Amino acid sequence: MGRLRPLRTLMTALTSELGERGASPPPLSVDLHGSATGPGGLARAVWAHRELLGILARKEFHVRYRRATFGVLWAVALPVLQSLVLAVVFSKVAHIRHASHYPVFVLSGMAAWLYFAMALAGGSTSIVDGSDLSSRVYFPRILLPLVQVATNLYGLLVTVGVLVALSPVLGVGLGSGLVYLVPGVVVLVLVTAGFVLVASALHVYFRDIRYVVSAALMMWMYVTPVIYPPADTHGPLRAAILANPLTGVVELFHASTVGATVSLAAAVSVSLAWAAVLLVAGVSLHSRFDRVFADLL
Amino acid sequence: MSAAIELRGVSKQFTKYVDTPMLLTSMLRFRPGTRRDRIWAVQDLDLDVAPGESFGVIGRNGSGKSTLMTLMAGITAPSRGSVRVRGRVAPLIAVGVGFHRELTGRENVYVNGSILGLSRRQIDRRLESIVDFAEVGSFIDTPVKFYSSGMFVRLGFAVAIHAEPEVLIVDEVLAVGDMAFQVKCYDRMKELRSSGATVVMVSHALGAVRRMCERVLLLDRGRPVAVGTAEEAIAAYHDVLSASREITVGESGLRHEPDVVKIGAVEVLAADERGCWWRTGHVEAGTQVRLRVEGTAVTDLDDLVVALTVLGADGSVVYADSTAGHPFGAVGAGECFTALGSFCCRLPTGTYEVAVRVDRADLRTTLAFAAPVSFFVTGRNTVAGLADLETAFAREESGGTAVVHDPSSTAGVASGSLYLS
Repeated sequence: MGRLRPLRTLMTALTSELGERGASPPPLSVDLHGSATGPGGLARAVWAHRELLGILARKEFHVRYRRATFGVLWAVALPVLQSLVLAVVFSKVAHIRHASHYPVFVLSGMAAWLYFAMALAGGSTSIVDGSDLSSRVYFPRILLPLVQVATNLYGLLVTVGVLVALSPVLGVGLGSGLVYLVPGVVVLVLVTAGFVLVASALHVYFRDIRYVVSAALMMWMYVTPVIYPPADTHGPLRAAILANPLTGVVELFHASTVGATVSLAAAVSVSLAWAAVLLVAGVSLHSRFDRVFADLL
Repeated sequence: MSAAIELRGVSKQFTKYVDTPMLLTSMLRFRPGTRRDRIWAVQDLDLDVAPGESFGVIGRNGSGKSTLMTLMAGITAPSRGSVRVRGRVAPLIAVGVGFHRELTGRENVYVNGSILGLSRRQIDRRLESIVDFAEVGSFIDTPVKFYSSGMFVRLGFAVAIHAEPEVLIVDEVLAVGDMAFQVKCYDRMKELRSSGATVVMVSHALGAVRRMCERVLLLDRGRPVAVGTAEEAIAAYHDVLSASREITVGESGLRHEPDVVKIGAVEVLAADERGCWWRTGHVEAGTQVRLRVEGTAVTDLDDLVVALTVLGADGSVVYADSTAGHPFGAVGAGECFTALGSFCCRLPTGTYEVAVRVDRADLRTTLAFAAPVSFFVTGRNTVAGLADLETAFAREESGGTAVVHDPSSTAGVASGSLYLS
């Protein structure tokens, strides 16, 4: 029996660890001095609310797809439909000079682009949209934009699945190139998170960010190599494409199917540099204003 | 032991933007051209609330109560000073926060619970008890958009109370829900307190504050006016109210002639189930209310007019009436008189004040004003607006009419005994 005692002690420790109120005095749950939160305070708050991110993301997903008759099917149908329309319009109607296997080229680029566009559109307004929540209870507001970054991963997963399934049908055999999807998704999420964090913080103050973002997304797609390969471009358009943080991401997706058309290393470095700058800016904005966003809602 | 809530030199400034800041216009204009007003909602507040204490905050609308509550809940940070709260905080600023209409009750419990700081496993273990407390039964797997407003509120409160907060911050939320559930909520709050939790109650409902709170803070214009027992703070509150309302309440348009009549007590009375009349701060809509006014005449009066004005929470006149044109009777010098006004309280949920005035019978001068007395009306769930006209709904059919709902036949069934105990 004596051998069981350590086990029992461990069990007791674990059960009390699960958060039931213990005998020790409760920790400080609110400790505010002035209006700035600071990176340390934000990190502690995010850690304390780490489970909330998953729960909010799941809620968001359920809410978005539950009502639709085909439910989750819409998550598959919309991006595929949009890519097919673009592929048909640009190859048959506009007679674009394009890479080989144009439909797969468009589909792989669109997978990355649609994730970015949807996460940015939803994420930039997320703090204001969640005001019924955030004006009445505290949790780190940075979770709201991050929820958008996380929820849209499901759509990305589905589109990538469709891409992998359709590519052989459309005449592109897939091979070891698929490993490019791994860095592709990682860099995509980093770049997206950077933009979403900055835009969501700014939108609390500047309420026209909503329109600025949708206008920007509309034009942005045409300087991102989703419709035509960057090799076809020159002059200022090519410069814009090379400076575009999404070029590296989209090219990684291309590399997984039809092959990249620009220097991957250079394009990915540009993407990572953008991501780093934006993430630092986004986290600083959120750690400065976390506890006062609610005042402007 | 250190304080559960500790505020040191706390001030909170809000910026009100006259026009919404726009990125495009601010970039086009070279200098920030946004017009704005700065308002100090709370100023230089020091406060300690001990663990296990039940603390009340009262004050007029715009006195900074709500801001103080959001500061304690950590929803917003102070502009100056420091706020420290020990232990898990559950703000009941609006129950059902984060409830999404499309999600089922169960899903909402998980979302809401985790916002309040519970882990998934803790919610698993408490789910059954939450469902029991909220009395939603099999509706737990129904989207909350199909819930009645009562069920919605009950589920929200059940989650908050099961978060087992060390600090519970309660707003006016308990004004909703039926009487039986309110009793349950108050009981549960008392239980929480006896297990060592700190309860902060921010309310207009002076009756509830008086019953629940050991210590009460009165705020006015963002500054602390008084901290003391509930009775002391409420007395100070009435002083603040009468000081600020003297002109609007006495809006008779008549010249004031002091030292002729003194008004003593003004009381709002409600009946319990045995038909006894008690002084109360709470009235249930649709029940009879008595207003009792005691006065003393300093000089002989052949006749006088008693006028009453019911004011809404924002100071607007909801109702005014007087005995003008009908003789009240003579009162001799030094004699006391008591006027009774009975009315059916056909009002929606909210805080009201009743002010009393005594005029000369010729309606040329006002003789006395009384400080307004506040009372809280628990209205019917379906009623909105300024008055409860107690509409009886029926469906017209070929063979006659079928009553759908007639509030006048059901009102007053649940008596106000809760508030009179």
